[in-house]
Amino acid sequence: MKKLSVEEVKHVAHLARIQVSDEEIESYRTRLGALYEMVDGIHEIEGYSEEMMITPVEEVCSLRKDEVGAMLDGASVLSNAPKTNGKFIEVPVVINE
Amino acid sequence: MSKYLDLTIPEIHELYVKKELTPSILLEEVFERIKARKSLNCLITCCQEEALERARELEKEEVGGLLWGIPILIKDNIVTKGIRTTCASKMLENFIPIYDAFVVEKIKKAGMILVGKTNMDEFAMGSTSETSYFGPPKNPWNEAYITGGSSGGNASAIAARIVPLSIGSDTGGSIRQPASYTGIVGMKPTYGRVSRYGLIAFASSLDQIGPMTRTVYENALLLNAIAGKDQNDLTSSSKEVEDYTALIGKDVRDLKIGIPSYLVSDVVSKEVSEVFNHVVNLLKKNGNTVELVDISYLKHAVSLYQIIAMGEASSNLARFDGVRYGYRTENPETIDALYEKTRSEGFGEEVKSRIMVGSSLLSGKNAKLYYDKALSIRDDMRESFLASFQKYDLLIAPTTTTPAYQLGEVMKDPLKTFMDDILVIPANMAGLPAMNLPAGFNQNHLPIGMQIIGAPFGEAKMYQLASFLEKELNLDLEGGRK
Repeated sequence: MKKLSVEEVKHVAHLARIQVSDEEIESYRTRLGALYEMVDGIHEIEGYSEEMMITPVEEVCSLRKDEVGAMLDGASVLSNAPKTNGKFIEVPVVINE
Repeated sequence: MSKYLDLTIPEIHELYVKKELTPSILLEEVFERIKARKSLNCLITCCQEEALERARELEKEEVGGLLWGIPILIKDNIVTKGIRTTCASKMLENFIPIYDAFVVEKIKKAGMILVGKTNMDEFAMGSTSETSYFGPPKNPWNEAYITGGSSGGNASAIAARIVPLSIGSDTGGSIRQPASYTGIVGMKPTYGRVSRYGLIAFASSLDQIGPMTRTVYENALLLNAIAGKDQNDLTSSSKEVEDYTALIGKDVRDLKIGIPSYLVSDVVSKEVSEVFNHVVNLLKKNGNTVELVDISYLKHAVSLYQIIAMGEASSNLARFDGVRYGYRTENPETIDALYEKTRSEGFGEEVKSRIMVGSSLLSGKNAKLYYDKALSIRDDMRESFLASFQKYDLLIAPTTTTPAYQLGEVMKDPLKTFMDDILVIPANMAGLPAMNLPAGFNQNHLPIGMQIIGAPFGEAKMYQLASFLEKELNLDLEGGRK
C-alpha cells in the first residue's frame, strides 16, 4: 500500500491548515496514502471528452432581484462566536504594531 | 402503550379530523419509544419541550393537510433555528443556528412537528455512521450491526418506527445505503429538486436533501412538501413541483427497464443478487421488459467521486476556522495557530484526512490532473446515463453489495467504507434521482434493498414502480420494532 513521506504529510496538513503532531504523522502516512491510491485509479482512464461538468443543473441559473430582504441582526450573528467584546468578534492580533 | 404511531399517515389524519386524537397524544407515544430505544443512539438532540409546545400551538388551529401534526426527525447537518445542530462533530457541538433551512421552514408550514436531530457520520463523511463524535447509531434489526451512513440515525429511527418521517441528505448514497441496511424507503431526488439552503455543505455539486420514511406513499407525501424553487439556492429548480403520489397504485406493465451491467457484476454478493434477481423475475412476469445496459465509467465511480467530493469538502470546510462560530482552541497566540489548532482539535480523523487530501488534489498542477479530469469524465458518465433514458423508462440495481455488517469492521479497513458506496455513487455523479426500496432479507433476517434510478425529475414514475413492488413483495418490515 502507498505510504506518504513525513514531508508530504506535513505539506498537505499545512495546505489544509490542520496541525498534526509527530505521533499523528505516522498514522496519516498510511491513511492518506490509501486515499491517494484510490484516487490514482483515475490515471487508468483515457479517451474521455474535454467538456467538464461543474454542476448537474441544466437550467440557466437566474439571480434573484437585488432587493433588501430579511437580514440577520448583529446580536444573533455574534451569539455563536467563540469570543467577542460585545460588538465585534475577537481574534489574536494580526497586525504588527 | 402504542396505539396510534403504527397507523398510516392518512389514518392518523382521519383521527385528527374527527377529533379522536391530538398531536400531543401522538407525541407521548414518540417520546415513550425514544426512551425505550435509547440504546439505538439514533438522536443527537431530542427537542421534547419544543415539540410539545408546537403541538399545543397546532391544537389551537384547524387541522391542516395530511402531514399536519405528524412528528418528524431531521438529520443533524440541516440547520434548525434555536435548536442545536452539530453535524455530529466536536466542531459544532454547541452550535445553535439562527435561521431555519428551507426544508425546515417547509415542514413547519405544513404543520409537521420536529422532535429531534438525528445522528450521522461527522460532516456526513462515512458510510457506517461510526465517525460520529457522539458514537454510532445502531441497526434496530440487530444492534450489533451498523445502520450504514451517513444518514444512519434517520435509518435507525425510522426502522425502529420511532416516527413515520425523516429528512436526510445524500452526497454519495447517504440516504439510500442506510435505508437499504435498515429496510426503509429513502429517496435522493434529482439535484436541484429540493433546496440545499441550510444544509451544511459537504460537496456542493453532489449534496441533495431527501425523505427517509416507512413506506413509498409517505415518502412521496414528504417530497411533495419539501420540493420547490428557493431564492436562497440558485441551483434549486424552477420546474413545477408535481404531485409525487399521483402515479402511486397505478398498474406497472410494458415498462422498459434497464439494469446498468456493472451494478450487477461480481462486486455484488450472492445474497444480494438472489434478492435482486427475484425482483427482476417479478417485473418480467408482469409484462415489463428488463435488460442489461452499459453505462460508461461506473467501474471508476468511486475514484472519480472521491476526487470531487474531497476537493469540494476541503473548500467547504475551510469555513470552520474558530473565528465566527463553532469550536475554538484555547488561548491561541497567533491567527495561524488559531486556525490550525482549532481544526486539529475540532475535526475527527476521517474528516481531517479527507480535507487534507482534498486540499492537495486542488493545489497547483493537481487541480488539472485530478479535479478537472474527474469533472470531464463525470460529464461523460452523465451523458451515458441520459442516453440510456432514451430507451428505458427507469433503471434498477441493487443498493448495496452486501447487507449490513457488524459495528467496528470498517475501522480495520478504511477503504472498505468507500467501496461500499460503489452502487449508489453514480446517481450523485449524474445528478439523477435514485431511491432505495426494501426488496428482501438475507438468512440472518437483515434487510436487503434495491435502487430505482430515474431520468432527471422522474420521481413520480419511480414512486409508481416502487409502490407496485412494495405491494407485490409485501415484506414484513416491522422487524426493527422491539
